[in-house]
Amino acid sequence: MSGNSLVLPIVLWGRNAPTHCISSLLVMDDLATIITGCHDGQICIWDMTPELEINPRALLFGHTASVTCLSKASAGSDKQYLVSASESGEMCLWDVNDGRCIEFTKLACAHTGIQFYQFNIGTQREGRLLCHGHYPEILVVDATSLEVLYSLVSKISPDWISSMSIIRSHRTQEDTVVAVSVTGILKVWIITADVSRMQDLDPVFEEESKPIYCQGCQSISFCTFTQLSLLVVCSKYWRVFDAGDFSLLCSVPSENNQSWVGGEFIAADKVIIWTEDGCSYIYKLPASCLPASEHFRSNVGKKTEGSIPPLVYSIADRADKQLLICPPVTRFFFGRREPFHKLLIQGDSAGRLTVWSIPETSPLQPLSSAAELQVSVSISLQEAFDKLMPSPAGIIDQLSVLPGSNEPIKVTASVYIPSQGRLVCGREDGSIVLVPATQTAIVQLLQGEHMLRRGWPPHRTLRGHRHKVTCLLYPHQVSPRYDQRSLVSGGVDFSVIIWDIFTGEMKHIFCIHGGEITQLIVPPENCSTRVQHCVCSVASDHSVGLLSLRERKCIMLASRHLFPIQVIKWRPCDDYLVVGCSDGSVYVWQMDTGALDRCVMGITAVEILNACDEVVPAAMDSLNHPAVNLKQAMTRRSLAALKNMAQHKLQTLATNLLAADNADKGNLPKYSHNSLVVQAMKTNVTDPDMHVLFFDVEAVIIQLLTEEAQRPNPTLVSPETLQKAPGGADKGGSFLANKIFKQVKETIKENIKEHLLDEDEDEEEEQRRREEKSKSLSLLEYNLTMDTAKLFMSCLHAWGLNGELDEVCLTRLGMLRPHTPVSFGLISRGGHMSLMLPTFKDSLLRQLAEGCAEGRKLSVSEIVGKGTYGVSRAVTTQHLLSVISLANTLMSMTNATFIGEHMKKAPARPPRPGTPETPRKTTPQASSPALQAQIKQGPWRGSLCLCLHAWLRSAISLSLSLSLSLSSAHGICSSCSLRHSCGSSAIERSEILINVCFKNCICHV
Amino acid sequence: MRVHTFLTECLFLAKCVHAVLKQLQDILKEASRRFSMPSPGLCEGQLKQENFILGSSTMDQVKGVLTLQGEALTQADINIKVAKSSQVMHFAFRDDKQWKLQQIQDARNHVNQALQLLSSRDESYTFKTGAEVNKLMDAVMLQLSRARNRLTTPASMTLPELAASGLVKMFTPPMPGDVMVNFYINLSKLCLTVYQLHVLQPNTTKNFKSAGSSVLHNPGAMFEYNNTKFEVSHVHKVECVVPWLNDTLVFFTISLQLCQQLKDKISVFSSFWNYRPF
Repeated sequence: MSGNSLVLPIVLWGRNAPTHCISSLLVMDDLATIITGCHDGQICIWDMTPELEINPRALLFGHTASVTCLSKASAGSDKQYLVSASESGEMCLWDVNDGRCIEFTKLACAHTGIQFYQFNIGTQREGRLLCHGHYPEILVVDATSLEVLYSLVSKISPDWISSMSIIRSHRTQEDTVVAVSVTGILKVWIITADVSRMQDLDPVFEEESKPIYCQGCQSISFCTFTQLSLLVVCSKYWRVFDAGDFSLLCSVPSENNQSWVGGEFIAADKVIIWTEDGCSYIYKLPASCLPASEHFRSNVGKKTEGSIPPLVYSIADRADKQLLICPPVTRFFFGRREPFHKLLIQGDSAGRLTVWSIPETSPLQPLSSAAELQVSVSISLQEAFDKLMPSPAGIIDQLSVLPGSNEPIKVTASVYIPSQGRLVCGREDGSIVLVPATQTAIVQLLQGEHMLRRGWPPHRTLRGHRHKVTCLLYPHQVSPRYDQRSLVSGGVDFSVIIWDIFTGEMKHIFCIHGGEITQLIVPPENCSTRVQHCVCSVASDHSVGLLSLRERKCIMLASRHLFPIQVIKWRPCDDYLVVGCSDGSVYVWQMDTGALDRCVMGITAVEILNACDEVVPAAMDSLNHPAVNLKQAMTRRSLAALKNMAQHKLQTLATNLLAADNADKGNLPKYSHNSLVVQAMKTNVTDPDMHVLFFDVEAVIIQLLTEEAQRPNPTLVSPETLQKAPGGADKGGSFLANKIFKQVKETIKENIKEHLLDEDEDEEEEQRRREEKSKSLSLLEYNLTMDTAKLFMSCLHAWGLNGELDEVCLTRLGMLRPHTPVSFGLISRGGHMSLMLPTFKDSLLRQLAEGCAEGRKLSVSEIVGKGTYGVSRAVTTQHLLSVISLANTLMSMTNATFIGEHMKKAPARPPRPGTPETPRKTTPQASSPALQAQIKQGPWRGSLCLCLHAWLRSAISLSLSLSLSLSSAHGICSSCSLRHSCGSSAIERSEILINVCFKNCICHV
Repeated sequence: MRVHTFLTECLFLAKCVHAVLKQLQDILKEASRRFSMPSPGLCEGQLKQENFILGSSTMDQVKGVLTLQGEALTQADINIKVAKSSQVMHFAFRDDKQWKLQQIQDARNHVNQALQLLSSRDESYTFKTGAEVNKLMDAVMLQLSRARNRLTTPASMTLPELAASGLVKMFTPPMPGDVMVNFYINLSKLCLTVYQLHVLQPNTTKNFKSAGSSVLHNPGAMFEYNNTKFEVSHVHKVECVVPWLNDTLVFFTISLQLCQQLKDKISVFSSFWNYRPF
């Protein structure tokens, strides 16, 4: 078995598209994909059709700072790679097709520009990335390993490079790199075959260095049409140079105090130049700049300032640009293959892409008045979200729509309590909702009877904050030293509230900060006993407080920081609280006395922060409070959450279970609900939360088997059923570990019962007190594991591939059909993640429609299941594996059906609001005998097994064709090492196989 | 309600923000001037040369006179008194060489980028939202804090990196193999470190442990370079305050604080503006 486990993310985006303030832009060579990077570090992949319809497909997570530049990183069109760099020096290599992160690295300095360059050494081709940025060199980086190979440096006045262009010459074998430094000196390096072969770090010196007196150079570009001229755009003027000897051909100043930020040749005689605020102009170059003309170089050496060449087109910005919060990014691209579009693309701070298709011909009007070019297409992320029907689901949307309003109340903070399977959501209006995570996800994702019910699933609302809840913390989850009843929340109303989640009671309100609470942190284990019962709160007035949950008072308030607090670290042995501020200063506070020990900057500050890391194991700060922003969420995912939850602990758990009696049983309940982790994320602090459900397939299987082994009537589990499926990886253990499982389950059950009773009593008390709050929170009256499995299988099942099978799944297995194709994700190395946007199905529809011979329109429901089998191959592989292993497990179980939950049996509630009656206590009791009876029906079980078996077989055959080429070769589970993907023909073949198998299965039934 | 808050926001943005931006721009211009950017029209010779005498109050083994012209050290005279022989070694830069202090260049470029950001938003520009100002402030602060960090945190290097840096090859007479020097800026001080090395015998009983990267290595640090193992026997550090660097640091700190104050104001206002009763 592979060391990596299979974790599948499913995203609930909610109606608000993530903030996507575009900072960089790229169109892939085939003009079918647009890539945008944003200020918060995400990268969005947009699909574009030849008819210029644009649709966002996926969002890539991984950078922790603003994306500064994007570049293609492969030459071929079969494998499209993309490289991105961020403000903090990170570089990532992504697969454009499925959003996998293939390689990543971090340098000390930030790149501001990257260009792909392919060396041809004989027949061998090697990809290189030429990078420049906040350093006085051009770094040459290998395009597959991202290693720095060598650098191009300058002897004469070395300085930062502000822009660079590669001139390819077909005449000679030499290629030239031309760059302009920030001080306006043009530098030329020649790359020959010897240079490209060089592997050591010897620098390459420049061939030529010439001051061209271009202050504030913004961009340089080489004319690919004539290969004889060079366009240099500076903020106050643009100039054309002869590419041979770099003599000035013409210079055009800017008008009306506009500042130019870039330009490009669009034809041999035309250039397009754009300004900072997003307007573009197309100029016809004077004859002196045209190599084809007899007047070429006619005025070299003469003063050329002042004459403005004729304007062909002007492209104004959109009317609603006042909504923008920073200058847009404009780029020009032209397709070298069909359909030969020349596109001017602009991305702005509202996450909007605007595309102008530039015509080949000039307008027929007199050139004195420049024609205005119309926008070809314009779309923003939010618009794409708004267009969706039904709107993209948020995790608790059904509970958040206020009467008289369409928009659900936004979730602004959330925390998931895995031990109880509950999700706690703080909302915009100050209320906090506790809801069973699986059930609410089922409501949002799947169709079923629950759609008719109001106020389903059962939830509890805590009211206390005046306005938006900004952060939530469940301290018991971090350390068992805290009371498992207490939940801590911070709000925009400056207050921190302690709640009892079992009674819903507000225990205490702290009002000590002078700004909204931004973070709640749990101190590490080895602090003094007093501090151990505190939580640490950080507020936007740059203050830090230690709030004792036990004493119900603030024991320390550190509030002299001038800059926002970036990091909190601890030195428990010295009783120090170390506060790192955004300006790089570090404050050291004594926790006991509250005295400021010292305040330092510079090297000492860095050293103090590093010293804290050595003492305390990593990720001590901000480990467990919900996503304050994505940076932290990502770090947590990669460092703590993913590792702990998925790989390490469960592996140990599995081995422990198999090993035998000496396993530490005390630890087991802790992992019992780790099959599902709900992680709230936001890309920008101002965004509402979106939620990602991480399903750990191994954990689901372990839990299912655990429960199965513990089942009271073991006669039903015949050894045959278990032996029938030797393919299931985790199956062997179930027999061996039966004893342990039983013991474990007994203890779990007892715990569960205790909780359940607790809660019901509390509930009743409360109901007496407050009538309107009486909704039951009977969390564990249903089977959490089965529900998780149901949700998971329903999302993964390939709906629509086989109608009969779908019917069986719906009626017999109790699976539910998703409302719309589910947005899955893909976790690749280092915690990098690609999440499908809810709009991905539009691209899919188009794709499938093209595939259809009749060209008929497919409806959304038809592609519900096909969705996951068409979009991304790496995702498909993961899904197949999950389906196979899970189906295998379910087959061996006695009542392998999701039907029979109390949901079905419960008396349908009248859909009237404001009726608080709930026959809660009777519901589960009524359902259970019925449930038992149904399961014991023999024939039903038989068909169920058969069906599942067939399903499994088909799944296996589907995977066979895939796995022979794919999975076995690459080790499926290691999502990172999937470097190759199979052709689409394999998928088609397996679809046929699936159908054949299903036919067989149905006949048997 | 909406109209009212919109008006207050506009009023604030119009009145307050530009005042702060103007002030900020003045300060940064002053800071940028200190870096005495070589303007392209003038030849290099017109940059002011400054001499700094580097010394330390506690020891006199090393003395240095450095000439700083803009971002480059154009001349250097270093006297090292070797402890054993009380013999004084004298080194100077070769005439054709000068050493660029990358820290100063980076700081200068960052501050110029900050200025460029501000200059595009002068009085003629009207800010429409607080978020817009915040975004601008974020960008400016990023450049300013980078500029400051470049001066306050010198690059930490490993000893082999230092040996390979080419700095030792700058001197006449050539430096012996057992002496290494390093120049850097720490806060407002121009620092010179001289490492005296001795070669570790290959059969030495001492545990060889290669030292990591650091700004200032301590005696006893070991490293391997060109297949020879060395140990640092003496470290001498001398420094001298560069007054204009001190000024720029003060300017950076003030302007960062101005930016932050403006951001704080906007965040207070915007939480009020965004207030929506439920």
